Amino acid sequence: MKNFDEFSRPMEYTSPMDSHLRSAIRNWAQKEVMPFRRNFDEDWMDHKLIEPAFDKLMGNKGLGLQKALFPSEVGGWGLGQSDYLFRSSLIIAEEIGRADTGMAVASMCAFWPLITITVSPYLNMDLCRQIAPMFVNADNAVFAANAMTEPQGGSDVENMELIKGKTLKTTARLEGEEWVINGHKLWPTNSGGVSSLFGVPCTTNPGSDDPDAFAFIFVPVKTPGVTEGNPYEKAGMAADKNSDIWFDQVRVPKSYRAHGPGKDKDAFYQLISMGQAASCGFLTGAMMNMYERLYTFVSTRTYNNRPLKENDAIAGIIGRIAGDIDICRILAHEAAMIGDRRNMPYGDPIISLKTVGRIRNIKDFVSDRAIDILGQAMDVLGSYGADREWDIEKHWRDIKIIQLWMGGKQLCQMEAARWFFNCETL
Amino acid sequence: MNKNLDAIFLYPLTWVDDEARMFADTAREWANKEIISDRLNYQKNYQKLFIEKRRILSVDIGFQRLVLPEDNGGFGWNTPSSAPGIMNVFSEIGRADAATGYVTALKYAIFATIAMEHNMNKKLCDILAPQYLADEIKTLSLILPGAGRAGEETPLFKGRAIRARIEEKEDAFILDGEALRPMGCGADADLFCIACADSDNRPCLAFVPAETKGVIKGDPIRQTGLDACKNADITLKKVKIPKENCIKRDGAIMELYAWLNLLLGGVSIGAAMNFHEILDEWAQSRVIKGAEPMKENPLCAFVLAEVADDIATARLINFSLSHIMAQPDKWGKVGGKGIYTFAQMIGARVQRLSLNALNRGMELMGSAGYAKEWHVEKHWRDIKTIQSHLAGLASNAPVMMDVSNFFYNSPEVQK
Repeated sequence: MKNFDEFSRPMEYTSPMDSHLRSAIRNWAQKEVMPFRRNFDEDWMDHKLIEPAFDKLMGNKGLGLQKALFPSEVGGWGLGQSDYLFRSSLIIAEEIGRADTGMAVASMCAFWPLITITVSPYLNMDLCRQIAPMFVNADNAVFAANAMTEPQGGSDVENMELIKGKTLKTTARLEGEEWVINGHKLWPTNSGGVSSLFGVPCTTNPGSDDPDAFAFIFVPVKTPGVTEGNPYEKAGMAADKNSDIWFDQVRVPKSYRAHGPGKDKDAFYQLISMGQAASCGFLTGAMMNMYERLYTFVSTRTYNNRPLKENDAIAGIIGRIAGDIDICRILAHEAAMIGDRRNMPYGDPIISLKTVGRIRNIKDFVSDRAIDILGQAMDVLGSYGADREWDIEKHWRDIKIIQLWMGGKQLCQMEAARWFFNCETL
Repeated sequence: MNKNLDAIFLYPLTWVDDEARMFADTAREWANKEIISDRLNYQKNYQKLFIEKRRILSVDIGFQRLVLPEDNGGFGWNTPSSAPGIMNVFSEIGRADAATGYVTALKYAIFATIAMEHNMNKKLCDILAPQYLADEIKTLSLILPGAGRAGEETPLFKGRAIRARIEEKEDAFILDGEALRPMGCGADADLFCIACADSDNRPCLAFVPAETKGVIKGDPIRQTGLDACKNADITLKKVKIPKENCIKRDGAIMELYAWLNLLLGGVSIGAAMNFHEILDEWAQSRVIKGAEPMKENPLCAFVLAEVADDIATARLINFSLSHIMAQPDKWGKVGGKGIYTFAQMIGARVQRLSLNALNRGMELMGSAGYAKEWHVEKHWRDIKTIQSHLAGLASNAPVMMDVSNFFYNSPEVQK
């Protein structure tokens, strides 16, 4: 194998934008991230190193990635309306994730709430026209956050199939031409002072599991009544800031609701599969970079005075590690393809139980393998495994949260069981 | 452990005598008072408080002198029979802070090679104990055989490269070695214990004061966990040490590995047990699906069971190792091939079980398990760092070769 690009992926799934996107993001990563990433952990609060790299990825002074989802009529790339949405997202996730999964998460979560209004069949052109300018006209990075997790609810909001939003405590009340929002959210990626816009799942009828009561409303961060806490300090993912957010009598125009009763829930539910498929890309990106670093180590360090990779026992270990990366990459592409088949005659809607269950299942599997083999790779390095200079430990710390988020492993297992075994009461 | 933990994570009570239990109680009091009850402050001022709290444990309470014979001002735990008791003490320390456990374990293991009754090196003990186990806190670092560099032909210790060389010159020994990787504390060490090879390629241990001319410390290494154990690569350029600072006794390096696996197993088990306490509180107070406590959900209960299973198993097998080590008349000496093999085999398993407990339990805590506020992620990073350092090289493949050779007499696998 010549290099990490040769890990398997179904070439039939490749999008026409694949090589262009890959090469543009890889060049950016090589120049703007790789030389600095070992110092990102200490930059978790200030983002003095991280922010300039984001500007060159997201803003018009660089690649302009933050325009990607919006329709071309409002200055975007039209990715939200493309049949290659999931596959292109996977490429972006993988290439940024190879350099830094925290940056991958933060940049892609800027898209996340926007999916509710930019992806067919949930396109809301009026709202796109109102919101797009803050993203498409900006030279620097502009972030959005999906403010969904609540203190008492944990992953309930991601468990739409069962909970249907009935445990949401954040309320939206219509007063004239404005929504009045009150509530408390935790942990959104791109909170803690990073975002310009929040997408906020809330309820118009607390305690109800009526789909009509679920509302997804956009809130510009500078709206009076919005308060953010300081970022949390975490084990890794320094480029991804998270904090508390409080909404106190926050008023936004009525038109800032994504769609309306019933449709908001479905539009929001798309986020689950999109988030899980992108998560697979973050993971395979990190795994491939681990392979690059591991390759160097096992070629230059010895056991019995021979390179590690030339010992049968050690070859057995590293062979399995590389084999797992190969399989996980194929699965990640399959997860993306499941999403992109949504408009095909043989495909299923993104919000179907089948799509959600299958993509969650793949993400669960890939997360488990990633955690396992990153940990093993650290042990292959032994006394050097915990060393930041070898980069593998950073990926190991960073990717653990990917397994934990969006309801974590257990919700993945439940969604898979619901689909594969027709469970009715879970 | 607190009473509740000892009552649920069972262990063979008769293997730990009253005196050892008293030491464990003292360590527990230190852990609760100095660290666990003040976790947020401890975390915030970690670098500063680490030294202070470690000094209280090591110097004021005097735990660093456990291994010394009474003649040297120690507690006289310098026989292998102390193994179960000392392991238990290290779990108490690890429950509070694995880094404190780690530096204390390195110190204990290093001194065990010269202070144990069966291998007592009185002269060296008399020289080193007053300097490094007295009223001021001193840090010891250990350089073991490990990864070699492609293109280098080095002497080997069971396949692992010995990259430091020692040569006899008149009344002294001279050491050389380039960019040697310590197990920890290289940046802060006052004394290095270095596995090196003599002119006959025979492994030996050299005790090198850090201020000796020719000892060059590299830049501090940032690592996954054990943040306070600042490591750095060490280069030795014609470093001269007195002859008595080198021990060439057979089995000394194997003895080091045995103690390290036992004690660091204890540290990781202690960290995992503290994680159990945190997780227990979380699972009781967290409501899921809008109605039920997390612990009452069967899927979550399954994960909780796996966490408890891993910790309980790790504790029991590590106690078994300590029991075997404590009876050299039955199972051979600590530096012998049998104990060395079992220590490595069980040590690796204990680290895997402890880490798996954290990995699985964190799944139930979601983002809270990942945030520094809950102290879980620190235990997770610390245990992983211990595991990688103990593996030493190639994900335990050399350990597996040792094990295979012991059970199936296959010496060729180590060549």
